[in-house]
Amino acid sequence: MITIQNLKKSFRTEEVETLALNNVNLKVDDGEFVAIMGPSGCGKSTLLNIIGMLDNPTEGSYNFAGNEVSGLKESQRTELRKGNLGFVFQSFNLIDELTVFENVELPLIYLNISKSERKQRVTEVLERMKMAHRANHFPQQLSGGQQQRVAISRAVITKPKLILADEPTGNLDSKNGLEVMNLLTELNQDGTTIVMVTHSDHDSHFAHRVVHLFDGQIVTQNQNRPVGAAI
Amino acid sequence: MFKNYLKTAWRNLLKNKGYSLINIGGLALGIAVALIIGLWIHDELTYNSYYNNKDRIAQVFQSQTFNGNTGTGPAIPLPLEPALRDGFADNFEHIMMSSWTQQGFLRVGDLNITRTGNYMQRMAPEFLNLEVIKGDRDGLREINSIMLAESTAETLFGNQDPIGKTVRIYNQYDLNVSAVYKDIPFNNSFNDTDYIIPWDHYVNNAEWIQNSKDNWGNNSWQMFVQIADNADMSTVSERIRNVKKDLNEDTAEFNPQLMLLPMDDWYLRSNFEDGKQVGGRIKYVWLFGIIGIFVLLLACINFMNLSTARSEKRAKEVGIRKSIGGQRSQLINQFLSESLLVVVFAFVMAVLIVLLSLDGFNDLARKEIAFPWESPLFWGLALGLIVFTSLLAGSYPALYLSSFRPVDVLKGTFKAGKYSGLPRKILVVLQFTVSVAFIIGTVIVMQQINHAKNRPVGYTMDGLVQIPTFSEDFNDKTELMREQFIGSGAVVEMATSSSPTTRIWSNRSGYTWEGKPDGFQEDFAWTEVSVDYAKTIDLKILEGRDFSRDIASDSMGILINETAVAYMGLENPVGTIIRDSDEEDPGPDMKIIGVVQDMIAQSPYEPVKQGWYVYDRYNNFSYYNLRLNPNQSASQSLATVERIFKDNFPAIPFQYDFVDAEYGEKFASEQRIGTLSGIFTALAILISCLGLFGLTSFVAEQRTKEIGVRKVLGASAFNVWNMLSKDFLKLVAISCFIAVPIAYYVMNGWLQEYPYRVILKWWIFGLAMLGAFGITVLTVSFQALKAARQNPVKSLRTE
Ligand SMILES: Nc1ncnc2c1ncn2[C@@H]1O[C@H](COP(=O)(O)OP(=O)(O)OP(=O)(O)O)[C@@H](O)[C@H]1O
Ligand SMILES: [Mg+2]
Repeated sequence: MITIQNLKKSFRTEEVETLALNNVNLKVDDGEFVAIMGPSGCGKSTLLNIIGMLDNPTEGSYNFAGNEVSGLKESQRTELRKGNLGFVFQSFNLIDELTVFENVELPLIYLNISKSERKQRVTEVLERMKMAHRANHFPQQLSGGQQQRVAISRAVITKPKLILADEPTGNLDSKNGLEVMNLLTELNQDGTTIVMVTHSDHDSHFAHRVVHLFDGQIVTQNQNRPVGAAI
Repeated sequence: MFKNYLKTAWRNLLKNKGYSLINIGGLALGIAVALIIGLWIHDELTYNSYYNNKDRIAQVFQSQTFNGNTGTGPAIPLPLEPALRDGFADNFEHIMMSSWTQQGFLRVGDLNITRTGNYMQRMAPEFLNLEVIKGDRDGLREINSIMLAESTAETLFGNQDPIGKTVRIYNQYDLNVSAVYKDIPFNNSFNDTDYIIPWDHYVNNAEWIQNSKDNWGNNSWQMFVQIADNADMSTVSERIRNVKKDLNEDTAEFNPQLMLLPMDDWYLRSNFEDGKQVGGRIKYVWLFGIIGIFVLLLACINFMNLSTARSEKRAKEVGIRKSIGGQRSQLINQFLSESLLVVVFAFVMAVLIVLLSLDGFNDLARKEIAFPWESPLFWGLALGLIVFTSLLAGSYPALYLSSFRPVDVLKGTFKAGKYSGLPRKILVVLQFTVSVAFIIGTVIVMQQINHAKNRPVGYTMDGLVQIPTFSEDFNDKTELMREQFIGSGAVVEMATSSSPTTRIWSNRSGYTWEGKPDGFQEDFAWTEVSVDYAKTIDLKILEGRDFSRDIASDSMGILINETAVAYMGLENPVGTIIRDSDEEDPGPDMKIIGVVQDMIAQSPYEPVKQGWYVYDRYNNFSYYNLRLNPNQSASQSLATVERIFKDNFPAIPFQYDFVDAEYGEKFASEQRIGTLSGIFTALAILISCLGLFGLTSFVAEQRTKEIGVRKVLGASAFNVWNMLSKDFLKLVAISCFIAVPIAYYVMNGWLQEYPYRVILKWWIFGLAMLGAFGITVLTVSFQALKAARQNPVKSLRTE
């Protein structure tokens, strides 16, 4: 699904140029659950953003499901992203002005899906995430764990092939964190590919493979268990 | 999709109530001003729309040149009528002679009233589109008839049928009411024509008019024309240009040029300079149009600024929407929908504001504008305004906000770049430039009005009252009335005059005096007065003496003003003999007995014209001028005056005007413009301040954490205030530097139109700048101090 070769990303600010990613090579297969780990500032989020097509690499190639992504314009990236990708963030990133239902519904609106189908799919997903009873609440009225469940609902509503999660449990206590990890595992078992950035050794055990980044370079990769095998 | 946009927009509005209020309120004010100005402009532009043949109607104007000075006006001589009727008949559908609109005393039984009306030729009802509701449409056929406007007929006859009844005019002639017509609506020429009497009645009863039938030099009447259906206005105008010059040798030296002023131009473009049409009221239409656009622009700038200032808060939303598949175009549409929603709310509010303020505005502007509920044009334009404003106000925020990159905003590293505030700053500068320029403009207009108001008039208006005496009943009663008035103690002095003190009704030429240069084309303001005129109005005699009852030869004496002395080139004016230059039938010689101070009888903005005050030998007076007794109340004196007047003239309505009020009318137009532009300036400033207020609160909010940290580290409230205010004050300073030269240039140009004008002083500009700074400091301080006083622990914990 994902093939990254000799990927470089540098940020140029007024004074300095930071090389956030340096010669990264990475392959992620369909259905795989990959965890990315490493010290703060090593480039994890940068890598995830590039995989998520929110950002362009400076150099190197990135192939997503047979499409070369590097060098695409923003509108083309948006087009490719639509329906194929779901995001889960550490800080949930829900729209405060919209209800739970509407937040989850939003990606479907952008896909021009009919109203009745939207309602049906959102209700289904919220049921599954055990958030149906909170459908008309606003994000601020929910706990962190609940907010993250809404965010995951929103990420999966389009039935994406790939979910990208940047420290999804970073703002949660261990109980809520575990719940989120179980949800992600479940989604993975249903066939969704997952790439997750985490600081937690505990969370990384849910993944098939752990990639270690250091100073913008991949240093080691550990296989926890073969793809397809249960935990 | 659109519904989703509106829903988000609606919740956004609710969530930030203060912001929404400032945004919608400011925009509503701006739109309300634009609407009111739009209604006013529409009203101005549709003046005379009552007349079906508006496109073909014109008035004949004439310009003549005396000593190189060309003057243009609607006064024409009588022989022009047959000249046009005979020589140019094909060009005209109608040629209609008319008197000036004048005050008439109407009497029915014991009822005496004063109304304004005209003497006109027979085609007047057709020419003026009169809607005759009773009687004969051809109501001017009989020479002793009078047509009455409905309101006047009602006043005179109540419920009775007026047709066939008698109205006595000037207590001299009995006229039969032949027709009643609907009053001509307010927003049209001739709306003050309360009655019409046949032209022939006017001519037949005045010897002086009959004597002028062949006199090309007596320009004392008006002529209105309707050109033929197949004729072209400017072509006809060109054809008649030299008619007078070609037919009359005597006046040819003044180069008389005739032209047609189309009805469309009567109201808005009737000013002439050097014989050329140069506009008129139309400049105020432009002025207010520009003000309206600027005020609306200011309100839109608020919207843009507040929207983009909130961008950092909304950046997250943009990022999320983009990361889950929102395209830029969709986001642009979303933000435009939001601005549309705001503009629609603002428009509704603006309509409310307009409805509430329309009466007051009508009073101020002397208008009768109604809200155009049923006008499709209005609603069409309103829709246009809404769309235009939404796009104007919403496009920049939409483009700006939708351009955020999701990576930046979601990572939390989003910071508006170093220059992201620049457009906002430019807009604030633009706002304050406009505001400061408005302040300066308004102050200068007010100053100019006051300057002219404070100009010495040359006589004393306080306690001076004038009574119109347009009837032969008054002939030869002046001495008698004077004795009675003074004897009653209500009046200290009285004199008659042939025109009001505040006006010049007659100009004369055709005289010679010793030392008059060859070819000098003299032109004098001509007022006939009784003996005590100078004494009554307190006009100073500078040389020589006043008229005296005891010196019989004074009936051939004249007083001239200072300007006339210089104009005539007299070294020793007193004693100079003035001869009539008519060789065939010269009038008697006159002798200058005194020189009086210049007094303002025309425009307070113009120099005083050379004038003669001639002893009134022929009962040519039109007014009693009374100096009320300063030692008793004016109302008491007037009651006495009224009693004496009615005892002597029971058939004449008693009517009086205070001269100072009459004089004040000369400023009415400028005063109205001044007041209106003052109000619009205040609103413009208010709108700018609303925007500034909103901006400061956002800046303060954004920097809450920074302020907290600074305070923990020891910053005083003053430091914080200074930090927040400084930026804005810098912007205002830049605005001042831009606004001052522009305002100076524009206002200096405006002042050039007034020969008597205030000298621009630099302190006005200083004051305006100080005002702008003061307002800014007040506006900004409110928020800045609030932020500065906040408990830092609280603000830090919220992060
Ligand atoms: N927009 C940017 N401009 C400049 N430098 C950046 C930018 N974004 C990231 N960097 C730099 O790139 C490097 C990698 O950043 P990144 O956010 O990927 O780290 P991270 O591994 O996700 O760290 P953390 O675990 O703290 O989230 C850092 O040195 C960071 O300072
Ligand atoms: Mg990170």
